[in-house]
Amino acid sequence: MPFAARRKLFLVIMAVPVVAYVLVVGIWPLAQGIWYSLYDYNLIRPQRTKFAGLDNYVEIITDPVSRQALINTAIFTLGAVFFELLLGFMLALALWRDDRFNRLALALILIPVTITPLVVGLIFKGLLAADYGMIGYFLAEWGLTDPRGLLADQHAALATLIFIDVWEWTPLVALILLAGLKALPSDILEAASVDGATGPQKLRIIVIPLMLPAVLLALILRTVDAFRVFDTVYVATGGGPGNATNTLMLHAVKQGLEFFNIGRASAIANLTLLIIAVIAAAFVMMIRHADKKANGK
Amino acid sequence: MKNADAAKLATAGLLACLMGSTALAQDKPFSGITLTIASQNDQFAPVIAELAPKFEEETGATVKVDILDYGSLLTKTTADYIGDTEGYDLVTMDIVWAGEYAENGYSVELSELIERDADEIDVDDIYPKLMMGLGNFEGRQVAFPFAGYANVLAYNKTRLDAAGLEAPTTMEEFVAAAEKLTDPDAGLYGFVANGQKGPASAQDWMQYNSEMGGAIMGEDGMPTLNSDANVESLKVYRDLFRKAAPPGAAGYDWGGREESFRQGVAALMQTWSVGAPGYYNPEISKVVDDVAITTAPHSGSAAPSYGIGGWGMAINADVSPEEQEAAWAFIKWLTSPEIHKEFNLMGAGSFLRKSEMTDPDLLEKFPFLPVLAETFENGNYDYRPRIPEYPQIQDFLGTAVNSVLVGDADPKEALDAAQAQAEELF
Repeated sequence: MPFAARRKLFLVIMAVPVVAYVLVVGIWPLAQGIWYSLYDYNLIRPQRTKFAGLDNYVEIITDPVSRQALINTAIFTLGAVFFELLLGFMLALALWRDDRFNRLALALILIPVTITPLVVGLIFKGLLAADYGMIGYFLAEWGLTDPRGLLADQHAALATLIFIDVWEWTPLVALILLAGLKALPSDILEAASVDGATGPQKLRIIVIPLMLPAVLLALILRTVDAFRVFDTVYVATGGGPGNATNTLMLHAVKQGLEFFNIGRASAIANLTLLIIAVIAAAFVMMIRHADKKANGK
Repeated sequence: MKNADAAKLATAGLLACLMGSTALAQDKPFSGITLTIASQNDQFAPVIAELAPKFEEETGATVKVDILDYGSLLTKTTADYIGDTEGYDLVTMDIVWAGEYAENGYSVELSELIERDADEIDVDDIYPKLMMGLGNFEGRQVAFPFAGYANVLAYNKTRLDAAGLEAPTTMEEFVAAAEKLTDPDAGLYGFVANGQKGPASAQDWMQYNSEMGGAIMGEDGMPTLNSDANVESLKVYRDLFRKAAPPGAAGYDWGGREESFRQGVAALMQTWSVGAPGYYNPEISKVVDDVAITTAPHSGSAAPSYGIGGWGMAINADVSPEEQEAAWAFIKWLTSPEIHKEFNLMGAGSFLRKSEMTDPDLLEKFPFLPVLAETFENGNYDYRPRIPEYPQIQDFLGTAVNSVLVGDADPKEALDAAQAQAEELF
């Protein structure tokens, strides 16, 4: 066998495990999910399974509960990511200078990130309960919130969940942005200082443009994650009151694991995947564009 | 599936007979067999685990109890049935899953076994409504009852006495008493029930609805969620929350409302009898000397509709005939008069037999047993429809009731929406 053919064979053999891995853990479940979503298929009523075409997808759009879940998820993602970026950036700037206090402060503010979201949901559910919660009781007592508590108030529940998400994930955003800040070329900043640029000027003209790749990285991570929110909402409100905090993932889990409605659950999951993929692709393109602009690469 | 199961069991029975002499000679007929139970995390679960070594001592079969929360129990056991993975030999089955079990043949049909061993079981001592409600669906006995729960009215006698009130027997008296006993300035409320979105509010409201003459399913087997009677009862339920419940009750599930009653905050509460031993426990209750329990009220115009709930034990149809025989032996053993009494004396709160209601040892510990007896005699186990579509109907109702309680929708509007969703299932 000539060398070129042997080389080709070698490469093919080396690629086989990766291709097999992608097929088994990526493509196959995805294909199966798409296949199931085309059926009216319920595990506890398998005898009634029938081909449904795109009915499951149409129902998601037309069913008020699913639509509300989609809207709630979008509001949650926009709200949470906006505040996390804003506060995270401010926090990163405050922690920029490398001294002992900042190093300690950074370690301490990272604590919320280390707590599992399920536990965070339980903690806040307890704290905000109007009857016995350490915070909720006083808020209700002083007339600042509905007497039923923030999580049982249909106008405040989603905002409260956004607050909880911001509490938990802002430190992570701050950490990513801080890494970005620390990687900034100090000579450019020093040169700007020498030229007499003020703090806000340096921030607007130098820091923010150079930081864009880090900002977009934080944005992508948090958007994808917030869009899939489940645990915190599941334990804190269960999607209530009414459907005020029902999210897409909560809806999918309920359809799949509570009602065993595999067709509908697959359709919701596929739709979520599609939305996330579109958002992620858009962000990746933005990162490339920003990187090119900032670094000429 | 059904015939195959019967054939397997018959074969096992025949084998047992053929080997009769050997089997009889054996002290421990099920040596080497391990039975795994998937159990709901109710008060009975740790008691079963505690009693299990005794069964092993008598029969040789090891019993492992996997204690799961409600959602995990449903998900794991359904996956086990569908995948034929034989993970569990025995499964505790909620009363409302009976339709699903019957339709899919998940569990061994017990009718023939019950008939075969009727004398040994002393079937006549078991409340017929528990036998039907906790395991029989349209003639198929898909589980054997072992934990009967009665919906009862728990009340704070001291507070009722102070207000010059008797325990209410009708819903009209119940509503009036709840309002009279409410004094928000003193932090005291007349009523508490589940308000949390999901199964919590759906199940509690269905109970009140049934007491006020409402029904979830019509006689034609179709849902009637938005019937006039149901809309009316939801209005009463909402008004009770507005006028007489602690402010956080719209977010309460079973734990929250029980706590509210045990702490003396709420004076009237309808509840499952399984929680009753807790009111008399000074470690968790502040109403030990104030509490009393009676039958649930009903509307003057409606016949009494005491709710019956609880758990049956089902044998996984996928496991081997030997394991099925051992599992059946375990069910018979656990529900036998002697062991079931011990089970309850150990705090399972799960009654089954008529003889338990008059047993002096049990009566001494649980003075409310006559109320349970009355409920089990005259109760209703179908007020929560035991059909395969139940979980989804419960979800629609859980959202509708909660929306009404938090002021997001009015009763008619909410139940109309739930009805429209329910109709799609049929």
